Amino acid sequence: MTALAIEIRGLQVRRERRTILSVDQLQVPGGAVLVILGPNGAGKSTLLHCLTGAVRPPPGSVRILGQDVGRLSTMALTELRRRVAHLAQVLAAGSEMPLLVREVVAIGRTGRAGLARPLTRYDWSLVDSWIERLGLQRVAGQSYSALSGGEQRKALLAMAMVQEPEILLLDEPTANLDVYWREQIVATLETLHRTQQLTILLVCHDLEAIPTTTRHVLVLRDGRVVAHGPCREVLTQDCIENLYGRGLSVLQHGSRYVLVPQPQEGPA
Amino acid sequence: MDWLFWAPVLCAGLVAGASTGMLGTYIVGMRIPFLGICIAHAALAGAVFGALAGLTGTTLLLPALAAAALSAVLVGVIDPQTVRADINVVLGILFSFTMGLAFLGLGLFSVYGVSDNEVRSLLWGSLAFCRWHDVWLMTGTAAVELLFVVAFYKEMRAILFSRTHAAAAGVHVTLVWTLFLLLASLVLTVNFQTVGGLMIYSLLANPAVAAARLVRGYGRMLIVAAGLGGVSGAGGFLISAWTDLPTGAMIVILSSCLVGLALAWERWRGKRTS
Repeated sequence: MTALAIEIRGLQVRRERRTILSVDQLQVPGGAVLVILGPNGAGKSTLLHCLTGAVRPPPGSVRILGQDVGRLSTMALTELRRRVAHLAQVLAAGSEMPLLVREVVAIGRTGRAGLARPLTRYDWSLVDSWIERLGLQRVAGQSYSALSGGEQRKALLAMAMVQEPEILLLDEPTANLDVYWREQIVATLETLHRTQQLTILLVCHDLEAIPTTTRHVLVLRDGRVVAHGPCREVLTQDCIENLYGRGLSVLQHGSRYVLVPQPQEGPA
Repeated sequence: MDWLFWAPVLCAGLVAGASTGMLGTYIVGMRIPFLGICIAHAALAGAVFGALAGLTGTTLLLPALAAAALSAVLVGVIDPQTVRADINVVLGILFSFTMGLAFLGLGLFSVYGVSDNEVRSLLWGSLAFCRWHDVWLMTGTAAVELLFVVAFYKEMRAILFSRTHAAAAGVHVTLVWTLFLLLASLVLTVNFQTVGGLMIYSLLANPAVAAARLVRGYGRMLIVAAGLGGVSGAGGFLISAWTDLPTGAMIVILSSCLVGLALAWERWRGKRTS
């Protein structure tokens, strides 16, 4: 049996006297891909923040790689974060510092390299290989703040990947990307899953961004789980109408899904 | 000009400018310029109350450093997310409080009938009265700063980009950030007695802002900011010596002119490449 990478039991997150996230039970085996869907404000990003400890979950409610996130000391949590990469939804605010794209990607190796130790030749080779893999060679020597939104997202994805994580938490990784690069990212995630058995949690709105290797989908609404199961059982017309209202059809093509507007009835 | 007499002043200007310029790279990079004046005014408040307690000369550094370190630790402990306020709002509140304390202390001098000349000079600085023992103290502090920059080079690069991303990458953000704040309190306290609590702000901000316009990349910006800070400190003194105008004002004006030149250079380079 595959060991559990993520285990959630009775997780409740409250803010301003309101429960913003409530997950009774969720188990993600190591090497699985779980997609999290839901409308804006459903609690998807909060769930990822609970997994990284950025939002401290109650003790006993979240276990990552066998460790109880709510009980970890700050030092132990920092050590755990080196094994869990998180690509946040919000892009980093442009700093006044003109950091180069290569320098930004190298931030992903900072924790792994150890406190007050310089990056090694291996660290930099990893940085350069991910820069090449995500097509950032042309802009590697430019300021990060001068990049387009899509290029910045690719740089942040490269930053997450050079961390060589055991769990990859991605919050809308294909936002701002054109169709070509969306497909490249999806293909990269599929390859990573197949070759490295990486555990991936992917938050997205765009069904086209769901990798074909995805086994399960979790659907959140108003902070609660409304559906959880295999793609073909969850990504149904009823589920989509429940989430986003009428007017959208979910189409399946092979192992990929896409949402399209339903044709309007009535006189042209 | 008697170069032998003025050599320590020239060196003090150079070291103060270089060390605050390098520190300013982080403060400007993180968009927290209030941090500099907040810590400098906390140090001033500490020195004022130290003077009221009867301390004089170099010993005034002790209460100044204690107050600066206390304010730095406070900044490190207060989590902007918890108090739901931007870091600059938190610094603004702390700055006004420390300034209030400093001026309360200055007011108490007249109440107790004690001379406040020595403390008032801290507001404007006394670069012209620098001697070699001051220069050695400033150089030692600059060496500590350089050690910190080298040791935590990559951690500070991550924090500069984004504290959230640094934490997500497994960087000991709280530890390194607190160490940086303590370093900032040391550098600012040691330098503000020569540059002045009010003028140190220009040496923190201007060289870093100019460097960001001239070069790309973290390492280059640190070096250029330190260089421009040194030029401002030493150059400001030389201009004041030749023109017989106030030293502090010349340092501020020169560093501001360097920002103007850097902006003009950036604009000219942009037009050439477009």
